[in-house]
Amino acid sequence: MRIKSLLLLLTLIAVPLLADDAVKVDDQTLSGLTARSIGPAATGGRVAAVAAVKDKGRTLVYVGSAGGGLWKSPNGGTTFKPVFDKYTQSIGAVAIDPKDHSVVWVGTGESWMRNSVSVGDGVYRTTDGGDNWQKLGLENTEHIAGIAIDPANTSTVFACAAGHLWNAGPDRGVYKTSDGGTTWKKVLFVNQETGCSSIAMDPQDSRILYAGMWQFRRTPWSFTSGGPGSALFKSTDGGATWRKLTNGLPGGDLGRIAVAVAPSRTSVLYAVVEAAHSALFRSDDMGESWSEVNSSFNIVGRPFYFALLTVDPQNYNRVYKPGFSLTVSDDGGKTFSPIAGSAHGDFHALWVDPEDSEHLLTASDGGFYSSADRGNTWNFHGNLPIAQFYHVAYDMERPYNVYGGLQDNATWYGPSTAPGGIYNRHWKSADPGDGFWAYPDPNDPDYLYSETQGGRIQRENMKTGETRDIMPSPRAGEPKYRFNWNTPIYMSPTRKGTIYIGCQFLFRSRDRGNSWEKISPDLTTNDPEKQKQEQSGGLTVDNSDAETHTTIFAISESPKNANLVWAGTDDGNLQVTRDGGRTWSNVAGNIAGLPRNTWVSSVEASRYDEGTAFATFDGHAMGDMKTYIFKTSDYGKTWKALANDSMSGYAHVIRQDTVNPELLFAGTEAGLWVSVDGGGNWAHFHGGDFPPVAVRDVAIHPREGDLILATHGRGVWVVDDLTPLRALTPKVLNSDVAFLPSRNSVQMIASSSDFGFPGDGEFSGQPAADDAVITYYLKKRHMFGDLKLEIYDPAGKLVSTVDGGKRKGLNRVTWSMRMKPPKSPAAAGGIVPNFFGILGPRVLDGAYTVKMIKGKETYTSEVKVVPDPRSTHTRAEREAQFKTAMQAYNLLARLTYVVDSVVDSRNQARDRVLKLASTDPLRKQVQDVGDSLDSMRSKLVAVNEAGGITGEVRLREYMIDLYGSINGYEGAPTQSQLNRLEALTTELDGISAQYAALNKQFDVINAELQKKQLDPVHSLTREEWDKRQSAGN
Amino acid sequence: MFRKLALCSFVLLLSGAAATAVAADLTLDQILAKNIQARGGMEKLKAVKSMRMTGKMTVGPGMEAPITLIEKRPHNMRLEFSLQGMTGVQAYDGKSGWTIMPFQGKKDAEPMAEDDLKDAEEQADFDGPLVDYKEKGNKVELMGKDAVEGGEAYKLKVTLKNGDVRYIYIDPDSFLEIKTEGKRTIRGADQEVESTIGDYKEVEGLMIPFSMQAGMKGSPQKQSITIDKVEINPTVDDSVFKMPAAAPAPAADKKPGA
Repeated sequence: MRIKSLLLLLTLIAVPLLADDAVKVDDQTLSGLTARSIGPAATGGRVAAVAAVKDKGRTLVYVGSAGGGLWKSPNGGTTFKPVFDKYTQSIGAVAIDPKDHSVVWVGTGESWMRNSVSVGDGVYRTTDGGDNWQKLGLENTEHIAGIAIDPANTSTVFACAAGHLWNAGPDRGVYKTSDGGTTWKKVLFVNQETGCSSIAMDPQDSRILYAGMWQFRRTPWSFTSGGPGSALFKSTDGGATWRKLTNGLPGGDLGRIAVAVAPSRTSVLYAVVEAAHSALFRSDDMGESWSEVNSSFNIVGRPFYFALLTVDPQNYNRVYKPGFSLTVSDDGGKTFSPIAGSAHGDFHALWVDPEDSEHLLTASDGGFYSSADRGNTWNFHGNLPIAQFYHVAYDMERPYNVYGGLQDNATWYGPSTAPGGIYNRHWKSADPGDGFWAYPDPNDPDYLYSETQGGRIQRENMKTGETRDIMPSPRAGEPKYRFNWNTPIYMSPTRKGTIYIGCQFLFRSRDRGNSWEKISPDLTTNDPEKQKQEQSGGLTVDNSDAETHTTIFAISESPKNANLVWAGTDDGNLQVTRDGGRTWSNVAGNIAGLPRNTWVSSVEASRYDEGTAFATFDGHAMGDMKTYIFKTSDYGKTWKALANDSMSGYAHVIRQDTVNPELLFAGTEAGLWVSVDGGGNWAHFHGGDFPPVAVRDVAIHPREGDLILATHGRGVWVVDDLTPLRALTPKVLNSDVAFLPSRNSVQMIASSSDFGFPGDGEFSGQPAADDAVITYYLKKRHMFGDLKLEIYDPAGKLVSTVDGGKRKGLNRVTWSMRMKPPKSPAAAGGIVPNFFGILGPRVLDGAYTVKMIKGKETYTSEVKVVPDPRSTHTRAEREAQFKTAMQAYNLLARLTYVVDSVVDSRNQARDRVLKLASTDPLRKQVQDVGDSLDSMRSKLVAVNEAGGITGEVRLREYMIDLYGSINGYEGAPTQSQLNRLEALTTELDGISAQYAALNKQFDVINAELQKKQLDPVHSLTREEWDKRQSAGN
Repeated sequence: MFRKLALCSFVLLLSGAAATAVAADLTLDQILAKNIQARGGMEKLKAVKSMRMTGKMTVGPGMEAPITLIEKRPHNMRLEFSLQGMTGVQAYDGKSGWTIMPFQGKKDAEPMAEDDLKDAEEQADFDGPLVDYKEKGNKVELMGKDAVEGGEAYKLKVTLKNGDVRYIYIDPDSFLEIKTEGKRTIRGADQEVESTIGDYKEVEGLMIPFSMQAGMKGSPQKQSITIDKVEINPTVDDSVFKMPAAAPAPAADKKPGA
């Protein structure tokens, strides 16, 4: 039956129901639309906590990342898998039950209180090694610094909750459960400003506890560490009562405190205490008295980020101090030496193997490391894709590259796909520091614009590495420029090469940053109360640009009108100019329901309508966690709220699709949200196990239609081809079955380069499918009968059948764009080692019909197959290749028939021999023919059954190898291949002729056999063989 | 390579015949009862003494291998799959397992290591781990409902007698199995596989899945197995499950008198 090709690239909608009976897109509808994690794992990702234990001789490790979930390694860090992907991705503390290692406690919400820190939602526990988790309360604590398990009675657990960073509140302090987390009691609370920053339990007597209590607060423009609430506390009755430890510790206000007990001598304690004079203190009497032992830079530096100490379990005089660097003291804290110069700095975790003090695990802003020699040398574990991107951009290469900046890990760029996987070696970095926005120069793809914190923009030649600082600086009489930590850089969509950057003023450059034109007045509130960063930090001054405020944070130029530019500020102004910057108006006040001074996290001018724009606002740094997304259609005069109660997480970004104006993507701290109806309904996106990780930026590749996600904790993800999503109309959703269109299916050049054997220890990002991807929607899961897809070529001939997806919602099914694998006769000697000899011929480009067989119904669509745009082969050359490959393919089928027939005849002959008396002269005759057939077989296929590498090559082996070599290249076959094909054809012709001659002898023998009541020998004909093949034999 | 491919696919392949479904607040026992009923009922299940399934396995883009799986009570199984005209075999007779992997030229049967046998053992559990689970020493827990394959399904946690864990997801409408996740300990390390199951068809009163996508958990690379034909109670000689003494030439290749 010939299938008529239907609407070009359009969907055939089957059985539409009532259009009013609206089916909403929910998270499950889109779950079949997978996202690919592409890394990088070449660098961090900040890690907030590490827990490890020796388990049956192996090291079981849990790595809690700051924003990328919890990762488990059963093998000391060689491989990791994420085990917390349904839950909040910010981890504050991890503890493994010492009695049962399958029980693990997690406190969510990192406690390293930097400006970009995420928030958690309580304590979780697994009892099966991370397969399943129970949430155990303390939902409103937001940040948990520590978990301490009573080793004697492991259902007694203490949670050290720092509590809210951005506002005051009661949900903080030390909590205790005695029933495995079912109920909690707050056993230590100081005030609404003070939480727990460190907890230590005496390993020999679990009734003895030490807790550092910390008063702290952030605003968008300041940080304060320290106050009268801070103190070091001790309990000797399992947390029932606590008293302050002060003897020998500094007086006055204290800040963040870290406390640790030496496991090998529990009377020895160490504490780092932030104070007017911060220092490391040691106690030799269980905390009753203390003496200062060290106040070197790495001990006292940045307590809010590094208040941590680890004492060697076997040596009470060896103490490690994670900090800017990792330092160790072997003399009880008197002196410290740096030990991890090769590793990325800013250390937040250190584990010392209790059975082997040489074996250390540590983690920092740069990821996870292990040492086998007490920290002298370190292995980086390049297998955790937990990079914290702020933004992402792309270029127009094939495959395209993605670019973005990471928390404390500079700017990285790498390919969106690579043959066999995207490995760490594919990624490259630029500009040490914190990275944010980065763009390749659209006029010269060798050049990269990138920045580090505080607006330090530069232009780099990616080939040579030569870099030029192009940061705008104040002229005489101008005020100091205030650049945000995460300064916006923006590329004009209308004028290639025009670039914007914002401090309190908006600048534009048309000469690659050589000069900057100031196109606005101060667009912020310019509130002097929010500009006192030199006083920020509290007890320890900390003015790193991280709190610089009253700055421009978001920029968008209308693709419809280059003179219409939006600029949003971190102090809540949303300004717009319609005359190229001459006049500006602040329209933030027109937004009903938005608290004043709420940070503009993104603004997006619509590409479809000049007056339309979208904006997100982020109030979390004022303690407002709501999702704010608004849209205007009248240049900002009026605004409509798009976010609804189904959404969660403070909003970072909104993007409108490049093709369908109703398709919107919103990134929040809780993940990606998709709306197919212009913001009326939103679905939380989980496709391909995409976790609820903070999505800081979203880009849409204009050529490929890919969605590119910058996550702050899980690197970059790509959702390939938005074409089906663009077509997900209410009509489709109300259909029982509907094909959705896809982009053209590209026959990627088969690359055989770039392979290696990296072992198991390296992350590999999932490449894009080389296959054609066919997408359809099922209103209900398919349960009964077939669901398969038949692919027909333009001539209506069936070329392939693939199993269909059965899931409810969107299904993606791949077709290799190849015909069925070639036939091949059985032989000794094994598989012919030619990869393409196993595969069917690649089909020619063209429109292929897809017919879905679903039970008794059929539905039809089309796949458009196109050659790789990089391919240099003409259509005529590809046709020549396909024709030759098919000749070899058919020749292999013919060979298979001949072998099957020869073997079948031989076996019949041998059967008759057994049935003839040994004295019968016919027996010898039949035996001889059988032997001739057997020797004929040995010319057709390898027959040496010796096993292993026999080196025996016969027609089969030559033919498969030739077929494979033709099939592996898309251009015209070589003359040698054509000659070889002819030679092998001639050889098979010769043997076929011999076989035909031998068959003649059967005519004589058969007459004799029949006389003896024996069956004649029947040689299998090609027709009979073909029939057998199509019967699926 | 091929051995590994076959291992992780066929395990999930047919043992997965277990399936059940339910509405809102069913108990585990109710779900299991409905599953057995949906599969054809205990009587019909138990009446099956042997089964042969033939179909194809897609082991990579454009790479297909014909397969045959034979199972026979009490605990026999044999899987054959062909590539370039050569046939690989994995078999288990309730005690020991063996393979023939001729793809590099050696056709002798080789015994399988105990840990590598776990797949075969599970495959040979004729009715699947849910039927008579208590007698088999398996533990089954109802974990509530979970989102899987675009919808909600009952999640059952099965702890096999050997300690390995499998999750079985039961479609709440048909009570048939739609997905399994398997976790087995191989040489002390967890190996996680998952498979989705579908295209149920009635064969002699039994509901049998004709399609399966299987692979390592989380990996996008899945093997697809589609079944063309299922034979119930074919005559199968026990000898096909026993490890041959030496390289078995195909029967048709035997010389007279050999």
